[in-house]
Amino acid sequence: MVDPVLSLAAESQTSQINDWLWTVKPDFVPGWAVPLTAVLLAVGIAIAIVSMVTMAGTWLERKVSGHIQCRYGPMRVGWHGWLQPIADGVKLLLKEDMVPTGADRPLFLLAPALVLASIFGAMVAFPLAPDFYFADVDLGIFMILAMTSTTTIGVVMAGWASNSKWSLYGAMREAAQVIAYEVPLGIALLVPVMVAGEFNLIEVSNGQAGGMGVFRWYIWPWMNPFMLPAFVLFFVAILAETKRAPFDLPEAESELVAGFMTEYSGIRWSFFFMEEYAAMFLYCVVGSFFFFGGFESPLTSLARLTDVHVLVQVAAAVTIVTKGFAGLFLMMWLRWTLPRVRIDQVMTMGYKYLTPIALACVLGGGAWEVAVSPHLPWVN
Amino acid sequence: MTSTETQAGSITRTEGGVLPTGEREFMLDVKTSDLEINMGPQHPATHGVMRILCRADGELCTGAQPHLGYLHRCAEKIGESVEWLQYLPYTDRYDYLAAMNNNLGYSMAVEKLMGIEIPRRALMIRTICAELNRIGSHLIAFGTYGLDIGAFTPFLYMFREREWMMALFEKICGARLTYSYIRIGGVFNDAPPGWLSEVERFCDTFDVKWQEYVDLLMVNHIFVKRTANVGVIPKDMAIDFGLTGPMLRGSGVDWDLRRDEPYELYDEICREGVFEIPLGSGERGTLGDCWDRVYVRVMEMREAIKIVRWCLDNIEPGPVIADIPKTLKIPPGEAYVGIENPRGELGHYVVSDGGKVATRVRVRAPSFVNLAVLEAIMPGTLLADAIAIIGSTDIVVGETDR
Amino acid sequence: MDFRGIYDRLRAIRAPGLTGCDEPRRPNPEDKKDKGRFGDPFVLVEPAWLPAFLEVARDDERLRFEMLIDISATDPSAEDEHLWVNVQLLSLTYKHRLAVKCLLPKAAPVLPSSVDVHRTCQWHERECAEMYGITFEGHPDPRNILLPEDWVGYPLRKDYVFPEEYHGISCK
Repeated sequence: MVDPVLSLAAESQTSQINDWLWTVKPDFVPGWAVPLTAVLLAVGIAIAIVSMVTMAGTWLERKVSGHIQCRYGPMRVGWHGWLQPIADGVKLLLKEDMVPTGADRPLFLLAPALVLASIFGAMVAFPLAPDFYFADVDLGIFMILAMTSTTTIGVVMAGWASNSKWSLYGAMREAAQVIAYEVPLGIALLVPVMVAGEFNLIEVSNGQAGGMGVFRWYIWPWMNPFMLPAFVLFFVAILAETKRAPFDLPEAESELVAGFMTEYSGIRWSFFFMEEYAAMFLYCVVGSFFFFGGFESPLTSLARLTDVHVLVQVAAAVTIVTKGFAGLFLMMWLRWTLPRVRIDQVMTMGYKYLTPIALACVLGGGAWEVAVSPHLPWVN
Repeated sequence: MTSTETQAGSITRTEGGVLPTGEREFMLDVKTSDLEINMGPQHPATHGVMRILCRADGELCTGAQPHLGYLHRCAEKIGESVEWLQYLPYTDRYDYLAAMNNNLGYSMAVEKLMGIEIPRRALMIRTICAELNRIGSHLIAFGTYGLDIGAFTPFLYMFREREWMMALFEKICGARLTYSYIRIGGVFNDAPPGWLSEVERFCDTFDVKWQEYVDLLMVNHIFVKRTANVGVIPKDMAIDFGLTGPMLRGSGVDWDLRRDEPYELYDEICREGVFEIPLGSGERGTLGDCWDRVYVRVMEMREAIKIVRWCLDNIEPGPVIADIPKTLKIPPGEAYVGIENPRGELGHYVVSDGGKVATRVRVRAPSFVNLAVLEAIMPGTLLADAIAIIGSTDIVVGETDR
Repeated sequence: MDFRGIYDRLRAIRAPGLTGCDEPRRPNPEDKKDKGRFGDPFVLVEPAWLPAFLEVARDDERLRFEMLIDISATDPSAEDEHLWVNVQLLSLTYKHRLAVKCLLPKAAPVLPSSVDVHRTCQWHERECAEMYGITFEGHPDPRNILLPEDWVGYPLRKDYVFPEEYHGISCK
């Protein structure tokens, strides 16, 4: 019987940590503790990376919003405020931990943890570099979509447990919206999955290698003309999934104060906040993998020429993080420009317009792949 | 009586929840009740301290009841205990976003009782200040409306222009928000040198920025979809509820006190055809919807600039205040004067018995009257639309409560 | 139409409740005490006939006072035994205004509500009722509008005494 933990792919970081731990393990430590420690350490590193990304995301949001609104944003805490997220984190940790009277206490306390856990669970499938990943999940994108869906449970829990009608409104809107937009999201992602033939993120990225790191991205019309509409649908769907404007009804600031998060303060609120930025980053990264080449860029191609393993990994990591942040920037730009769409208009758009268009893209993309693509010299 | 679909696929009507087969309809005994939501005194979208008790069936609003009085500061009672001129700072504070217009309304009512003539330069400066304040007030109305709808950025852009307007007022009278500048008999002091040319520069810049706001927010597709066909106030309902100002003109009723009952210099201004009165026309939806009211306000800003330019072209040096005694004793009588406030008709009804103190100062606040229409139009709208409707009435709670 | 024309028309159509009018006049030079009467003219109407009067004023083709601008009340002085109810009417069609006044006895200030004629009266009448103690018969929703529900007294009357405390909060 294969040890389930050790059946992780040989090169994943978790198994590398595991191997290293075996070599340094003192004798009194029982055998089962080693893979467990390895997993915990890997999870710790993943959490650290995600937290840093979230911190950078919040800083970027404040600067981007500031500059769009003709003001500076944070300027005092560090050079141009780059230490602001740390200051915010310290402040939030020191705040009073309030649970409203009449709130359903166990659910109230569980909700932020559930929401953050779901996102971290999805982050497991996100590889930072072709040879730096925590688990080589063959079902990559499938798992990511499944795990991010479970954040809805946490949000509805938060809205319900807050014992406030406004929070309930936010939770109900959020549930309706997220569930509605998962349909076009999944269907739109089917187009690149068909072209790549893979769910695994790293393999999808490898499939776009070549062409100086740019010209074999799936988004280009010469790869598949249905990719661009699929990407547009995907982008709109992720705006709705992460509750960003113009779909930010669940946390509509001017209507519901903070929607489902109204009654949360301090570190619990920051969990929701971290989940939002982590989810944004994750979805942008997924979009980068499936449409924009993932690890492939001129930088990575250059690094491959040098044939130094570490350089390639670093270049790939830089590439994917930059693409993720570019997507993040675009989402922020839209947030500060566009007004909010009303909930029934959101639902109408999701079910009546985006879903049929997504299905049409899948049909067209599939037909292209079968009929036209095999005859194109640059695809194979 | 409810209807259900039978296995054959046709709709059957049930009586008392019992199907023809004798079974009870599923979940008929589940009682649902409307959710009573309190858009409480503290809420980002109620534009002040006002409470609206909404009854909602899910997202559908089935009733709305405004509760006022949180900002009641007994302005009318105070009017009966302070002297005529001492009451002026209190007038600033009802509609604090358009304080010049409030001063103007009160001063005009008292001047009507006194029967004095105001010097021409004072009239010019009064008109410039009132129209600039109209622009400032509409900038806030439009900006905060965008904020309610979810567009965070245009609000800050509009505040840039409003800051400039407030700086202009600071130069002329020392205050940024509550001016007490337009006094009984004229204005308090003359404009400092260079003020008029700075107003001209403001007008030039504003014309460019105005176009920016229209492009960014007013014709934005999402904004139009949120405000068109929402909160429709038909013409006869508008007149029945005594609405005035952009609320009335948004419903297509062509009535503006500046043109139809001209006061101060508006007689001359209208004869020369300086500005037009924008009307709602149902261009993007139905006549009398929220977008029409926003349209009227945005276009009024541009027309106000034209009036200011006319005043700048025609102003001449002269006295800025009529010769009135320091302690005013207004002859006995009563007078009502209504002026066109950015929000509607601001009326002051003053009663004097010949003394130093008024017998009655009644303020007919446009926001108070405009707010009453909410009870009639909100049922049947979605909750998010409720926010849009409240924002489009452009109320200032200081004026609603006085 | 000017005030004289409106008043003549009102008399011609026998507007219900019309009792007279009051116009501004210059002070009498013989009487030193007379300071005259300035400002706006108004029409006097019997309080019991106010809604009927308003309806006639609204519907008559030469008057067409479609919009009711304001209903308010005045307490002229502590010695005077009357309260005034002042109504401001506006005609959008003919661009003329009319001020209507009713005199109510302070001991029993009652008059019918004009809500059926102009829906805007609803809130104006609520404010008059709470500030002066005037009862508008037939008003659909006679709650306090600006004052708290349990406020005692009629604040805008001249003989009003401010309470010492309200729910334990000292009012001094």
